Amino acid sequence: MRTGFKLLIISTISLFLFLISSSLIHSQSFWEGYHSPEQANNVLTETAQNHPDITRVHTLAQSPGGRELLVLEIGPEVNSEEKSLPAILVVANMEGVIPITTEASLKLVDLVIEENAADNKTWYILPNGNPDAAVRFFQSPLRKDVRNEFPVNDDMDDQVGEDGPEDINGDGFVTTMRYKHPQGEWIPVDGEPRLMRRADRAKGERGIYKIHSEGIDNDGDGQINEDPTGGINVNRNFPHLFREFTATGGAWPGSTPEARGIFEFVFSRPEIAMTFSLGETNFALQPPRGGRQGSADFQNIQIPESFADQIGADPNATYTMDEVIRMVEPLAPPGFEITESVVASFLGLGAVVNPMQEDLVFYNELADRYKEYLEEHGFSTDRLSPAAAKDGSFELWSYYHLGIPTFSMDFWTLPEFREETEDEDSGLTPEKIGEMSDEEFVDLGEETIGQFLEEVGAPAQFSAAQVIGMVQGGMLTTSRIAEMLAQMPGGSPASPDGASAEDKALIAWVDNELNGEGFIEWSEFDHPDLGTVEIGGPIPFVKNTPPYVMVDSLLSVQVPWIVTLSEKMARLNIMSTDTEYLGGGIHRVTAWIENENYLPFPTAMGVRNQNPKPAQIFLQANGLDFIEGRERTLIESLGGMEAKKFTWLVRSPETRLLQLRLETTHAWSDRSQIELGGSR
Amino acid sequence: MKFIYTLILALLLAAAGTISLNAQKSSINVPLPFDRYYDLEDLYKAIEVLNEAFPELTTAEVITQSEEGRDVWAFTINNPETGDHLAKPGVYVDGNIHGNEIQATEVVLYLMNYLLTNYGEVEKITELVDRNAFYFVPSVNVDGRYHFFNNANTPSTNRGLRVPGDGIRDAVSDRSISNDLNNDGSITQMRKRDPFGQWNTHPEDPRLMVRAEPGEFGEWTLLGQERYDITEDTQISEDAERYVDPNRDWGSNWAPPYVQRGAGDYPFMGNVSKAIAEYMVGRPNIIMVFAFHNTGGMFLRGPGTKARGPLNPSDVAVYDILGENAEKIVPGYDYLISWKDLYSTYGDFTEFTYNTIGAFSFVGELFMARQETYAAYEDLMSADHESLGFGTTTEQDLQRLKFNDNVAHGTLFKEWEPFDHPIYGEIEIGGWAKMSTRISHPFMLKDMAHRNAAAVLFAAAQTPKVEMEITRNERIDDNLNRVRVRLVNHNAIPTMTNHAVQNQLYPQDMLTAEGNNIRVVAGGRVTDRYRDRVNYKEHRPELQFLRVPGTSVVYYDFLVEGNGELTINYNSRKAGQRTANTTIN
Ligand SMILES: [Zn+2]
Repeated sequence: MRTGFKLLIISTISLFLFLISSSLIHSQSFWEGYHSPEQANNVLTETAQNHPDITRVHTLAQSPGGRELLVLEIGPEVNSEEKSLPAILVVANMEGVIPITTEASLKLVDLVIEENAADNKTWYILPNGNPDAAVRFFQSPLRKDVRNEFPVNDDMDDQVGEDGPEDINGDGFVTTMRYKHPQGEWIPVDGEPRLMRRADRAKGERGIYKIHSEGIDNDGDGQINEDPTGGINVNRNFPHLFREFTATGGAWPGSTPEARGIFEFVFSRPEIAMTFSLGETNFALQPPRGGRQGSADFQNIQIPESFADQIGADPNATYTMDEVIRMVEPLAPPGFEITESVVASFLGLGAVVNPMQEDLVFYNELADRYKEYLEEHGFSTDRLSPAAAKDGSFELWSYYHLGIPTFSMDFWTLPEFREETEDEDSGLTPEKIGEMSDEEFVDLGEETIGQFLEEVGAPAQFSAAQVIGMVQGGMLTTSRIAEMLAQMPGGSPASPDGASAEDKALIAWVDNELNGEGFIEWSEFDHPDLGTVEIGGPIPFVKNTPPYVMVDSLLSVQVPWIVTLSEKMARLNIMSTDTEYLGGGIHRVTAWIENENYLPFPTAMGVRNQNPKPAQIFLQANGLDFIEGRERTLIESLGGMEAKKFTWLVRSPETRLLQLRLETTHAWSDRSQIELGGSR
Repeated sequence: MKFIYTLILALLLAAAGTISLNAQKSSINVPLPFDRYYDLEDLYKAIEVLNEAFPELTTAEVITQSEEGRDVWAFTINNPETGDHLAKPGVYVDGNIHGNEIQATEVVLYLMNYLLTNYGEVEKITELVDRNAFYFVPSVNVDGRYHFFNNANTPSTNRGLRVPGDGIRDAVSDRSISNDLNNDGSITQMRKRDPFGQWNTHPEDPRLMVRAEPGEFGEWTLLGQERYDITEDTQISEDAERYVDPNRDWGSNWAPPYVQRGAGDYPFMGNVSKAIAEYMVGRPNIIMVFAFHNTGGMFLRGPGTKARGPLNPSDVAVYDILGENAEKIVPGYDYLISWKDLYSTYGDFTEFTYNTIGAFSFVGELFMARQETYAAYEDLMSADHESLGFGTTTEQDLQRLKFNDNVAHGTLFKEWEPFDHPIYGEIEIGGWAKMSTRISHPFMLKDMAHRNAAAVLFAAAQTPKVEMEITRNERIDDNLNRVRVRLVNHNAIPTMTNHAVQNQLYPQDMLTAEGNNIRVVAGGRVTDRYRDRVNYKEHRPELQFLRVPGTSVVYYDFLVEGNGELTINYNSRKAGQRTANTTIN
């Protein structure tokens, strides 16, 4: 080859590479404007340069793909390590496939700075919790995948990450393949041949197509796309209800550096008083779900026979935690303190898995306020429901392990599509059920489950009550139900005349709002493994990512609610103080301490898990003699809008000035002086 | 205030006392002496001298620093002449994850010393060293070990990691630190004469305290551990340690502190647990794990909680072989299931090594109080062997006191002595010494260490030993040969736990067939070798995934076309690699 020719090729290649790397222009122009992880980080560093007095950038972790997770700190104490003000942690896009949440976090950065929302508190804002996954939205071909770049051998063969999806027809999108197969389960929807539904054999329909994500069998094992590069979904790698041995959960909680970085960041900052996760769930609208089985019930503890003997308990009876502590105490070695945690761990009572009733009170109240707020701003609350929080997610960890108010928010779902004649469907799909915990499924109730069973054409002997009973009895699990339905031809999430609610919403959206651009028409392709296939379907992200022109109007209503909620976090004050002379140089000193805000200090879950640090009251003066009470007193909890009285008996024959200090790590601090009149 | 100064002085004197004791120690050379317990400096020295004496067979490396900056050492025994360590079944042994459980380290050191000094001398030991890779972390909790030796303690203090507490709850809740008030190196008990007490001295031995009969006052009140209560609690005491148990810090079935006392903030919060997890992930050949603790005389296996459900039955069958033999090798030790026979634990080490690493894993609980006997042989044989788990009965304690007097010559028990306590006034201080109750007198050390090391070696001898042979190669058509491969595992431990297969912890063993000018047409597992029935694999027939169970034989057939040399490779993470060749023509 002549040198000149070689050069030409090289320069063409580099020009090509230059074009790819410099253009973050989307293959879909309606998404132009979204910030890539790198751009979002640049926004943070630029903000820090423009506002050096109130902002600072922290590196929280580096993803397996080598991307930095930057956190912007905003607040008056950015230049000191020790914080006296409480802080709010906001994490976004933990799954890495919800681009609008990164935009929401950047919007929040602007809002906090513009509106001075950080004048008496600190904000920590992380725009990308899973940047390895998030960057795919900005790459061509467009592909949606929650995995980071942590190497995982999904198919347990001799190679890692060797068989991922690809854009085989070169249209810029990894979409769907449909191909005719003797065991095909799918048929086109009547009147809307772009959409597919499962054939209903019970009604005499025969399936035609199999469907699969776009790609080839790279490793020749007969499976297509079964081992993509990566990885772990960061938002399944947290320790509350962590699920072992799943495809994307990771080997242990914190096994991927993004999650581990968040653990370390949070536990080295006791000032963090509240968290927000911007993602696919919405605790601001829909409180954390209950109904899981197996929650530790401290009111009804059963003692295993082997211990019952030793402590003189009846193994068939149930006891309260206090009763058990009293039974165990005499057996403890002198000086050993029997606490709830000692008993709970000894008896293996397990973790709390349902939200505490007291906490649901504020969640429900604030959800009502949020709905009102949205309606006032002309936002329809008729929308597809936000997703339920997943086991192993940040938001469940924050609520259950940190014990502080935890809110999550999503910002957009497809507008619900309604046909006037049609009954509302259950909104369930086998996939959705597969992702639910058994308890969440049971929680749906007999009516919804019954409706769903009817939709999927379940045999008549499977009544909703029976299915619920089997799930509760452990004979059936949600993943098993999903599996069975997937194997059952005719078992389909579709309403009788065709497509599922989500598909209908999708196609209406694509046609009416995107001029059809979000959907690739099915077209034939000669597939190396499968022969003739058709490739098409909705493009990735079209279901959860609105055109960029909509983003500002969506966020300018919803994001300010984060600031509104932040103003409700607990704030402790010294309300008033009083002294009373009892004679003999002895005074009674009284102080009223209040929580002047709406949210409790800490949550009921925080009272249970003892993770949030208690407040401390110091009553001090030189040589003060305490008759009753101590120089230091702890306040373990103080409900929203609640006050508590604290008293001391002190001896002080002379007049002196007492210093009363209220100190908290995460609910502000206060101080006042009390004059003692001496022996009056 | 004056008392504080006295206290500081006392502490200084105590430290001085420790130093003078060090002067009498025997020096540490190979073979290692096991006539006393090694403090942390001794341990470091022992690792060094073993490494220096056997440079070809051993590697010593620092895997991390503790919270207080001390080195944590790992030690490998592998014969490079018989292969890379990763190509052999890995046996991992550690001890002293609880800082006070010091003799666990001696068991590990004993095993290291025993393997090395008998290599080339004793045939069975030579074979074990040549066939396995041995990994040791003799002391996991080096801060705990340091403070247990160098400070005054009870037999049960300094278990945890030196993770600082928050200083808020700790200091106020009266969990004030214990002090060695009488400066004897042990934290013992305080008792005070009290006409309204709940306790009496035992009529047979006034050193032993027993509860007063119901409805009667006793003559004594027990005031707990030796200490001076710090009532001025405004100062955050630096010693108000938070209790983080390094054996509740592992990322399998981990639970936070309100569920599992001793857990940290999140899994792998401790430097050492994080480092060992990484160490093990980097050694995928580890198939057998022993972690030594005290006390009770037990070999424990998982699961740690009932909610986990029973272990995989075929893995249990392997555990049973190893556990039932260990019971016989170490008389009096019981092979038990953690949650069922002891108590529930979340996030402990062996939960992690079985569930996540995929290794058969035992906890060895060393020391049995009932071995401290003062009884004639026939009385011992007829005695009731029922024990109270970790506790002892009054009868046992009476014997142990006589054992202390006449066998251990007073070194296990601190006699009650009067003391003028600043808060309680006239009291007495006394009780079981630091080096007692969970730790035997050094004269019993070697026997205990040897038997427990032998239990490990029994398991090491059962790690998978796979032989591969091509048992058939015959032309069955014009251009088609049937090649049959036989894989025999001679030992009880399979090449993978069944749990690892079912939960896809890592890929199964691989068997490949390849050669120039040779095409593998079909390949699969033989289901009936007499009738040539084979489950042929549909895709990539040249690559087979398998597991060879304990003491089992499996056959694989490959149908190949072409001419030339066919190479069969067997590659197992835990059982090593094997190769065989045959000519196709
Ligand atoms: Zn232990």
